[in-house]
Amino acid sequence: MAPQQLAALYNDLQRAFDARPSNLQRCGSLLAQLKIGLIEAGLLIPTGEPKLGDLVVARDILEIGAFWSIRTKDVPSFDRYFSQLQSYYTDYRSLLIFPHPSILPPSKREFPIRGLNLIRLLTQNRIADFHTTLESLPLPADGINDNPYIRHPVNLERWLMEGSYSKVWNAREEAPAEEYKFFVDSLMGTIRNEIASCEETAYESLPLKDAATLLFFTTQSDLLTFAKHRGWQVNLMAGTITFARKSEESMEIPKQKLIAANLAYARELEQIV
Amino acid sequence: MADVEMKPAEEKTKDDKKEEDKKDGKKEEDKKEDTKPPPSPVADIKSNIALIERAVSTFEPRFTHRVLRTLTSLRKRIDDKVLRDAIEELYPKDGPVKTSLLSWLPTAPAVDPSMDVDPAPTPSKAPVTEPVPEGEIYIRLLILHHLYKSPETYKKSIELAHETVDKMQALNRRSMDPIAAKVWYALERSYELGGELADARPRFLAAQRTASLRHDDDTQASLINRLLRSYVNYSLYDQADKLVSKTTFPSSAGSPQFARYHYYIGRIKAVQLNYTAAHTNLQQAIRRAPPPKTAPGFYQAVHKFFVIVELLMGDIPDRGTFRHPVLEKALTAYFDIVKAVRTGSLSQFQTTLNKHAAQFESDKTYTLIVRLRQNVIKTGIRRLSLSYSRISLRDICLKLHLDSEEDAEYIVGKAIRDGVIEGRIVHEKGWMECGSQKGGYGPEVSDVFSRRIGYCLELHNESVKAMRYPLNAHRKELAAAEGARERERELAKEIQEGDLDDDEGMGGDF
Repeated sequence: MAPQQLAALYNDLQRAFDARPSNLQRCGSLLAQLKIGLIEAGLLIPTGEPKLGDLVVARDILEIGAFWSIRTKDVPSFDRYFSQLQSYYTDYRSLLIFPHPSILPPSKREFPIRGLNLIRLLTQNRIADFHTTLESLPLPADGINDNPYIRHPVNLERWLMEGSYSKVWNAREEAPAEEYKFFVDSLMGTIRNEIASCEETAYESLPLKDAATLLFFTTQSDLLTFAKHRGWQVNLMAGTITFARKSEESMEIPKQKLIAANLAYARELEQIV
Repeated sequence: MADVEMKPAEEKTKDDKKEEDKKDGKKEEDKKEDTKPPPSPVADIKSNIALIERAVSTFEPRFTHRVLRTLTSLRKRIDDKVLRDAIEELYPKDGPVKTSLLSWLPTAPAVDPSMDVDPAPTPSKAPVTEPVPEGEIYIRLLILHHLYKSPETYKKSIELAHETVDKMQALNRRSMDPIAAKVWYALERSYELGGELADARPRFLAAQRTASLRHDDDTQASLINRLLRSYVNYSLYDQADKLVSKTTFPSSAGSPQFARYHYYIGRIKAVQLNYTAAHTNLQQAIRRAPPPKTAPGFYQAVHKFFVIVELLMGDIPDRGTFRHPVLEKALTAYFDIVKAVRTGSLSQFQTTLNKHAAQFESDKTYTLIVRLRQNVIKTGIRRLSLSYSRISLRDICLKLHLDSEEDAEYIVGKAIRDGVIEGRIVHEKGWMECGSQKGGYGPEVSDVFSRRIGYCLELHNESVKAMRYPLNAHRKELAAAEGARERERELAKEIQEGDLDDDEGMGGDF
C-alpha cells in the first residue's frame, strides 16, 4: 500500500472517529485496512529505525482502535490494541530516534487508555495484574492522585478491597471519560457477586427488602433471579432470604499426611544419628 | 583438612614477607601506609593471582572463591598506583596483555623512578611466567572496580567491561566462571552509574542463555540477579516475573547471590499481592544476607520490605527489629506506620503516610504502603471484635472513622468472609455479634510444625554437604586403622592363647 493511500485512510479514520456519534462500522473497516497498511510499512510493531512522524501516526491509529474496541464492546480486541500500544508508551518514550534525535511526544490519549486497561483488569478480578500494571506506570506515586484517569480505577480498587461497595456504586457516574462507563456494568456484576458471597457468610437471614438495597437491586424480580442463581432459600411468605450454612467444617485428622510426615522424620533422624 | 588448607596460607605469608621486604627497601620514603603490618594491596593482588593459578591447575574453584571473598576489602585499598605496580610486577616482560592492561590506567610521571628500580630485583627471582588468563581477568576486574569509583571514569569502565566480557566469552574457560560472575556485576554497576541500566539488558539476556547452556552456575546466578535488578529498577514486574518462571536459579550459587535473588523475588511477589511467598522470600534473603554490620544497606533495604509485607499479611512486626542498631534509624518512618496500623487508626495512618511520602517513594514502598489502608481497617475491626461481644454498626463506624453505617456493614461483612473475624451481622438490629475465637489446635498447627522441622532438617543436610575434606587425608587414617586392626589381631591372638592357658589353668584347678 502506498504511503499516500495510508495517509488518506488515516484521515478518513480520524473523521469517522471524531464525528458525533462516531461511525463505528466505518471505523472498523478502516482500522482493518490500516492495520494491514501498518504491517506493510513495518510500523505495527515498530522495527528498524522508523521516522518520528510515522510513529505518531501509527500510535494514533492504534489508540483510535483501542477506543473503538471499547465502544463496540469488544474487550479482547482492546486487549490486543493495548499490548501493541505498550511498546509506544514504554519503549519509545525516551528513545532517541535516528537520525533526528527527539523524544516521541506523549499522547493525550495515553492515560485514558491506561486507565481503561486498569479498569478492565479490575472487572476481570485480576488484582495482581492490576497492581503490577499500576507499579509500572510512568508516574510518581503521588501523581496518581492528580491524574483523573488513573485516580478513578485506583479509588475503585481501594474501595473494593476495603469493602466500601456503596462508594463504588456511587462512583459509577463519575467516570472521567465516556468509555469508562462501558465497564460499569460488568463492574457492578463483580461487586454484586462479592457482596453476595459476603452476605452468605455474614448473615443467617436477611429481609428481602434489605437484601435488595444491599445488592443495589431496584426490583424484587431481579433479586429473585439473582437469589435463584446463587441457590439461596427465599421465603416469600415471611419475606426473608435464608442462606444455606456451609456445614461446620468437621475437624478431620489428616491421617495419611501425618503418617507420611512422621515416617519422613524417622528416616531423616536415622541419617543423622 | 589442615594439610591442604595450611599450604596456601604459608605460601601467602611467605609471599607477603618477600613483598614486604622488597617494599621496605624500595619505597620506604614515598609510602608509609604500605609498610604497616597488614600486607600491602600489591602483595595481596600478587598472592591472589597465585591462588587463582593454583585453582586453575588443581581444578579447585574453592581457591578462586577465596580470592573473590577478599574483593570487597581490597577494593577500598586500590588506586592507580597500586594497580600499576601490580601489573608491572606480574608482567615483567612487555607484552600485549600488559600494554592493554596499562592503557586503562592514567600514566603518572611520578611512577617512573620506582619503575626503574623495580626491574632489578624481579629478574633475580625465578623467571616469572605470565599469569594465566584468569589472572588477567582478575586484574581487569580490579581496574573496573577502581574505575567506577569516580564519576569521570564511568565511561571508561563501561568500555573496559565490554572488552573484558568479550575476552571472557572468547576464552570460554570453566575455571574462569567465578571471576566472570563478578565481572558481570562490575559491568552492571558501571552501566548503572554511568548511563542507562536498560541498555545493558540485551547483553545480559544473551549471556544468560550462554551461561545456562554451559552450566556455568556462577555466571548464571549473577546474571539472573543482574536482570532482575534491571527489571525491578524500571518497575517491569511482569517481565521480571516471567524471567523467574522461565529460569531456574542454580542451587549451587553462593549465599550473597541467593540473598539478592530472594530479595528480588520477594519484591515481585509483594507487588503481585502474593504476600506469603513474598514473606518467605524476604525472610530467606535476611537469613542469607551477610552480617548486618558488613552490608548494612542490603540489610536495611530487605527489612523495609519485610516490615511492610508483614503488615500486609496482618501481622505486626517484632518490636526488636526497630531497636536493631543498624536498622533503628533507617526504619523510623516504617515504625510510625507500624504504630498506626497497630492502633487501627485511619487518621494516624494517613498523616504518617503524608509525612514520610518522599522517603517511601524513594524506597519504592509507597504503593505497597497505600495498600495497607485496608489492613488498618481490618486491624481495627479485629480489635473491636476481640473486645466486644456485640457492637452496633454505628459504633464501629464512629470508632474506625468510616464514612457511613452502610459502609461499615459492607466492610464488616467482608471481614467476616475473609476470615479476619469470627462473627455475624444481625441486620434487623443493626449490630455485629462476635463469635468465639477458634481454638489454636488443628491440622494447620501440624502444617506449621512440619514446615519448621523441614527447614531444620534441610539446614542440617545442607551443612553436612557444605563440609570440606582434604584430599587423601583419609589415607593416613586408613593406615592408622590398619595398624590398629593389626594390633587388635595380635591382641586377639594373645588372648586366645592366654585363654587356652587360662582354660588349662582353670581346668587344672577343678
